[in-house]
Amino acid sequence: MSATVRIIDGALGNPAPALPPAAQFGAAIVFDGVVRADEGGRTIRALAYEVYEPMASNMLTELGREMLAKHGLVAIMVEHSRGEVPVGQRSFRLTVHALHRAEALAAVGEFIDRMKRDVPIWKTALDEAPTAS
Amino acid sequence: MVFRVLIFGSLARELSCASIAVDVPDNASVRDVNEALAACHPHKATFFRGARLAVNHSFRSADALLRAGDEIALVELVGGG
Repeated sequence: MSATVRIIDGALGNPAPALPPAAQFGAAIVFDGVVRADEGGRTIRALAYEVYEPMASNMLTELGREMLAKHGLVAIMVEHSRGEVPVGQRSFRLTVHALHRAEALAAVGEFIDRMKRDVPIWKTALDEAPTAS
Repeated sequence: MVFRVLIFGSLARELSCASIAVDVPDNASVRDVNEALAACHPHKATFFRGARLAVNHSFRSADALLRAGDEIALVELVGGG
């Protein structure tokens, strides 16, 4: 069982998680969080993330370990952006491997809910630049 | 003891600063810092009294005692992902 956390400057790249040996899992979920153009009814160009370190990484690691134990996961990997992420780009990725889909799906939902509630990461919407007329 | 309580996100933008200085007695607790923050900003007193404070990167109970040099951060209104 392993929990891995990476804080990455800017947008995340394409998913390339290190897979556990294939015989150890029957379900793999890769959840990508993508920056939407609409934030509370206004059009934005990007989100800017503030990450309070090392507390954020420590809490994400602890939360990952808790999900491993509680849901019997094989592996969990967390990637989160710091700084500016343009609309359409990925800012968060959660990769979960488990024996069965039920525990993998449950872990994804619980991890994200608790991250949004407790982990010291803040996001700010950056407005689209006004267009010249 | 004087502490500079780190603040982030929308709160930092609203108050136009990255930290709030509070002066508390020796042997002050986390609760004393909450109260000092509320006194500094009475228009947001309820928020500051209930705000979660991290000390040296861990959440502490309201009764936990502080030491000079502790790093205190206000961890509210978070929203990762």
